[in-house]
Amino acid sequence: MSNSVAKQLEEHPLVPMVGEVSKIVDETPDVKTFHIYYEQGKPFTPMPGQVAMLSLLSVGEAMFSVRGVDENHLEFSLKKTGILTDALHEIEEGQKVGVRGPYGNGFPIDFCKGKDMLFIGMGIGLAPVRTMIYHCINNREDYGKMQIIYGARSPQDLVFKEDLFENWHKVPNCGVDVTVDRGDDDWDGNVGFVPPFVEGLAPNPENTVAIICGPPIGIKFTLPVLEKLGFTNDQIITTLEMRMKCGIGKCGRCNIGSCYVCLDGPVFSLEQLKVMPDEY
Amino acid sequence: MKIIKRDKLKDLLNSFAKNAQTLAPVKENDTIKFLPWKGQGEIDLSQNALLPPKDLLFPQTEVMYRYTDGGVQGEITDVAAAAERQVIFGIRPCDVRSLTMMDDVFMTKGYEDDYYKSKRENTILISLGCNEPQPTCFCTSMGIDMMEADGADIVMYDLGEKLALEPKTDAGEQLLNDVDVLEDGAAEKPVAKECQLKADAEGLAEKLAQMFHHSYWEDLSRTCIGCGTCTYLCPTCHCFDIRRKNIGEEGFQFRCWDSCMFSEYTRMAGGHNPRPSKKERVRNRFLHKLQYFPERYGKVACVGCGRCVGKCPVNIDITRIIGELREVSVDE
Ligand SMILES: Cc1cc2nc3c(=O)[nH]c(=O)nc-3n(C[C@H](O)[C@H](O)[C@H](O)COP(=O)(O)OP(=O)(O)OC[C@H]3O[C@@H](n4cnc5c(N)ncnc54)[C@H](O)[C@@H]3O)c2cc1C
Ligand code: SF4
Ligand code: SF4
Ligand code: FES
Repeated sequence: MSNSVAKQLEEHPLVPMVGEVSKIVDETPDVKTFHIYYEQGKPFTPMPGQVAMLSLLSVGEAMFSVRGVDENHLEFSLKKTGILTDALHEIEEGQKVGVRGPYGNGFPIDFCKGKDMLFIGMGIGLAPVRTMIYHCINNREDYGKMQIIYGARSPQDLVFKEDLFENWHKVPNCGVDVTVDRGDDDWDGNVGFVPPFVEGLAPNPENTVAIICGPPIGIKFTLPVLEKLGFTNDQIITTLEMRMKCGIGKCGRCNIGSCYVCLDGPVFSLEQLKVMPDEY
Repeated sequence: MKIIKRDKLKDLLNSFAKNAQTLAPVKENDTIKFLPWKGQGEIDLSQNALLPPKDLLFPQTEVMYRYTDGGVQGEITDVAAAAERQVIFGIRPCDVRSLTMMDDVFMTKGYEDDYYKSKRENTILISLGCNEPQPTCFCTSMGIDMMEADGADIVMYDLGEKLALEPKTDAGEQLLNDVDVLEDGAAEKPVAKECQLKADAEGLAEKLAQMFHHSYWEDLSRTCIGCGTCTYLCPTCHCFDIRRKNIGEEGFQFRCWDSCMFSEYTRMAGGHNPRPSKKERVRNRFLHKLQYFPERYGKVACVGCGRCVGKCPVNIDITRIIGELREVSVDE
């Protein structure tokens, strides 16, 4: 990371660093992955689970999971849902975009060290989970067994297919299980919702941390399954989304009780969530 | 201590204004506002300004940076410059206290907001003690001394025909030394009349932590019309939105005050809204002031200025609400 870049973000935490989109990957009909290139070195190295504000200067900015790829690249995966994400889905390689961050706490790496890791992703929710999966892959000796469970609505809606069907199968002591709500003629994998799929796979809770992200409804129905399997609240980690504007605990927008999701989150254990007001 | 005759006040402000933007409470169209002093106008020290001076540090709209965006190429051309020196004359003790809360928000917990900080560090505060509270004032309940103002550079007392100024910081001392319209003197500090309105928020946060699902909030929200007046007038409310304005291939990003009383405030992409009705929004406003802020920053986010009490169109009075919250039983 170049010093001047880091200094700018420190001195003006609300002003983005402009970089260039160097690669766009079509994941699904409504999800694209963007690689953003910084000639002088990427502006920051995010911890797994952290987020950043991505902007098109004349359109707006919004918060997304961010992954550091190499010295010069940051990576975001975006689902098309509104004004900014629609516009970003229209751009081509070479487009200038702004990024500011990294924000939030990230996944509790020290807590996870030495444990088996269960990853459950649903839909675009695999994006934050994947930042931790990559962290574990890159520090493989620090973690035990890895088990990755992913579900999407249909085969077309599967994101990060290269990871799911190639890369992660090569990782030592790592299982990958994929399901879709509805199959099609070409799909010979599992069909069914994530909660019963998890129940059938019956991951062992002993010395295991479960990281689960996805739409609220998916999380809601998967939690009782994990509980039934014997996972306790402190073993279950998830991320929350709230509307955000500043990302640095000033604009007041993302509070749940006295906690700001942009600063104190977006990662929370179920144990923490149980004592917070259920206003999210 | 320095003394100035009331009829020489304009000379004093003129001297300040030579070296720094000077803001003073001026009566315009029947309302008292903090306006830049340009040598003219009717200085009104009879009661506090309707709008708190918070917008001098955290403007209602504020340009953050400018950019050019010609399709593919975009760049940031200019980040808002550091603030000029300013003197706020006649800020009341409650509003001085409110700035300590703004400081907590904008300058602590890991990030310093450079826009706020640069204004704050270049601002000199001259407080004016309140001899007589308004009927809506309850600052003394919030632990404020109506004559003193911790954090002011100069504390000023209203002695009728005269005003007395007592510097409290080096910056304040310097400012007074630089002007020649003041006389040395001594004066008795006036004795303030008591606030009639009272509220006891001491220890309420612990109780409120158990009242999130209480039916009280539903009942309270029935009368609120969600106009947001209370949050706009409140010197401790700090929420903002970030937006942009494009003019051809140029544009600027700005922030502007926002209010948790509006439904749009928390509505997320996809339409989900964690605070879908007035019940959740009214609850958030009061819990933010009385529970969340104390939990996060160790102080109640109300200074008893009474602006919301006086201006809420449906008379939602925070002192009454504090009283009722004390009374209701936690388990309904
Ligand atoms: C911590 C965190 C992490 C996240 N990570 C990711 C991620 O990795 N990937 C990802 O894809 N998303 C992620 N999100 C979600 C993402 O931030 C939102 O999808 C994004 O804000 C959408 O922005 P937008 O401008 O496209 O949508 P917006 O335009 O803000 O909102 C879209 C919705 O609101 C409606 N709408 C917009 N404006 C108006 C209006 N003026 N009036 C009426 N209706 C309107 C639209 O019809 C649409 O339904 C994350 C969010 C958070 C908080
Ligand atoms: S809540 Fe009302 S009385 Fe308290 S500081 Fe805000 S405007 Fe003043
Ligand atoms: S001023 Fe009164 S009516 Fe308006 S939003 Fe505030 S409490 Fe509700
Ligand atoms: S996004 Fe502004 S406080 Fe969290």
